[in-house]
Amino acid sequence: MAMKVVALAGNPNVGKTTVFNSLTGMRQHVGNWPGVTVEKKEGVFEYKGEKFLVVDLPGTYSLTAHSIDELVARNFLLNGNPDVVVNVVDATSLLRNLLLTMEIFEMGLKNVVIALNKIDLAEKKGIRIDPLKMSKALGVPVVAMSAKEGIGIEELKDKIYEMAQGRIKTNPVVPRYDPEVEREIEHITNSLKGTKLERRYPLRWLAIKLLQRDDEVMKLVLRHIGEERLREIMTHIGEAEARYGRAMDLIIASQKYEFIDRLTHEFMSYVGKEKESLTDQLDRILIHPVYGFIALAMVFYAVFKFIFALGLPLQEWLDGLFASFGEWLAPQIANETLRGLLVDGIIGGVGSVLSFFPLVFLLFFALSILEDVGYMARVAALMEGIMRKFGLPGKSVIPLVLGLGCNVPAVMATRTLEDERERLVTMLVSPFIPCSARLSVISFLAGAFFGSNHSIVALSVYLIAILVALLSAWLVGRFVVKGEESPFVIELPEYLIPSWKTVVTHSWERSKEFVKKAGTIILLGAIAIWYLSNYPVEIGSGKSYAEKLGYLFEPYMRLMGLDWKAAVSLLFGIIAKENVISTYGVIYGTTEAIKNAMTPLQAYVLAVVTTLYIPCIATIGAIRAESNWKWALFTTAYMIAVASIVGILIWHAGVALGLA
Amino acid sequence: MGKLEEVLDLINSGVTQEMEIAKRLGLAKEEVSDIIKILENLGYVEKVEAGSKTCESCPLKKVCYGSCLKPTGVVAYRIRENVQEKG
Repeated sequence: MAMKVVALAGNPNVGKTTVFNSLTGMRQHVGNWPGVTVEKKEGVFEYKGEKFLVVDLPGTYSLTAHSIDELVARNFLLNGNPDVVVNVVDATSLLRNLLLTMEIFEMGLKNVVIALNKIDLAEKKGIRIDPLKMSKALGVPVVAMSAKEGIGIEELKDKIYEMAQGRIKTNPVVPRYDPEVEREIEHITNSLKGTKLERRYPLRWLAIKLLQRDDEVMKLVLRHIGEERLREIMTHIGEAEARYGRAMDLIIASQKYEFIDRLTHEFMSYVGKEKESLTDQLDRILIHPVYGFIALAMVFYAVFKFIFALGLPLQEWLDGLFASFGEWLAPQIANETLRGLLVDGIIGGVGSVLSFFPLVFLLFFALSILEDVGYMARVAALMEGIMRKFGLPGKSVIPLVLGLGCNVPAVMATRTLEDERERLVTMLVSPFIPCSARLSVISFLAGAFFGSNHSIVALSVYLIAILVALLSAWLVGRFVVKGEESPFVIELPEYLIPSWKTVVTHSWERSKEFVKKAGTIILLGAIAIWYLSNYPVEIGSGKSYAEKLGYLFEPYMRLMGLDWKAAVSLLFGIIAKENVISTYGVIYGTTEAIKNAMTPLQAYVLAVVTTLYIPCIATIGAIRAESNWKWALFTTAYMIAVASIVGILIWHAGVALGLA
Repeated sequence: MGKLEEVLDLINSGVTQEMEIAKRLGLAKEEVSDIIKILENLGYVEKVEAGSKTCESCPLKKVCYGSCLKPTGVVAYRIRENVQEKG
């Protein structure tokens, strides 16, 4: 006697495979569905002397031909003549799962058993489902089970057996739609009546699939009624969609969902809310429109405190180490030029930058912890609303956050923004976000000039930079590149305890670039600065190339309270922002000398201007590569203008307040 | 208007978090997640799963640390006369 065929249908991740394994045990065969590379699993079980062949259909959310999986599942249900269809549904997500059930019912299948899986988890979540009432409401048998725990398997086998024997009478409930949709269904079914289709398929189901513009059904119907009649049907559907202002597939899904929602009231209730998770509790504060920003300010203040508290002593120690090394090396080299190049140029320049490695490492360490914990996703979610207010797409928050590390990947990440306007605006504002190179400048100046207030000062520079970025986005979006923005949804991960190994690895991976840069571009920059400072005559005479170059820009720098040395530093900073520090290192030699040469107000202006004034060469190159020269040059010119305005404002405000 | 349409409209208007959608519509967060899955299956929103190939090669991976979701921009309706066309 031929085996009875049981089809297992259900949404993905509802435990269908566990049900399949529980039914068939080891008696399984895995192959492919004919003509496609979709896995086909079959297994056999025996119950009360009857053998059953269980076919595990691909997990699908619906039976519209959206994917090959859906097509395979649908074709088997329509043409495979299963004796019993077991629809596995997840009791914890019943509304969504029953959408597929309704589709199965609409296909005219009556031999359906509902396997109400994960009933134990539903109970834990406070969801109470009465299987008897559910069975009555749906018109088919329902077996409450937990396949994972082995609960309900025997009852399911029994129901399959009874169904296969024809001992169970069913009356599957069929969703009803609003009058307009029902009229469309009727119009289509009338058009299909009398065709061969009527003998093979439920016309109501075909009508619904045509309303949903199902490709396969459209082709099938075309073969039977011809192009003209099908065109008339589709035009009719289009007119109905125009009246709704929505696509019919959405209307049908929505009304089906509402139908199920009403239906579940007959057998499902919530006895108590599941205890709010720690993630939800934390998110109540951390993404709150007011408390969220207070928390953000506190978190980043703590980050700077942490960086400075641990990093500054290490930076000073390293700075001293390079200075001592220079002092030790100097007497060993007889040649004055070589001594100058090695001690003042290379050790003074590169050493002054390298000494900031602890701060950069600690910045990445702190950011990695925040990322691994899941907080950076909250920052993105929190900032998204603000971004949108300033005309930036919500999605741009991610390139901007990346910019905290380095502006080059931030500019490259703008390619994930589909809209050209959004891309250009985000590309323009991302270089305003202080990268790790600028952190070294900010932390050097904050540490040297502001004593115990260094964290607040550094944080204020970051805040100015973010504010300038947002205002620039608004200005550019309003006057330069106009257009509509598109929304973005961020899915927030659960909060997790970070893996220290991952955090340290990430931090090292990111900060080693800083060391690599010190050995290449900063080294070359330091040599160049040394050369320009010592030729044709030593600095201090007013005739060195560096001084001549600096004096050229000094009148402009004076507007911001800065001198020619700042001009030279900023010029070299275009190659890499760390060069601002190394230039001062080469020119002054020691931190103490720098401290004596500037006031705190001048240092603050320099920190802000360095942060805002121009992207480094690598970032300009990235902007050109991602857009064009025109936009790269516009960004450069715009940033110089903004930095000048902000620098002049801060300087004059400081002078007016008596801080000079 | 049904819940599916309400959720889709909120996503299209830029409401960015499931929790916020749930709060605005008075729904459980789990139900909103389910509705988003339905909309995703219908092609109205697109989800990039964490750990998928797309996710792995995404330049935003380092700061994203999760799945992402976006509206696909599928239009509300389209009167089509060409029966072979699907969109």
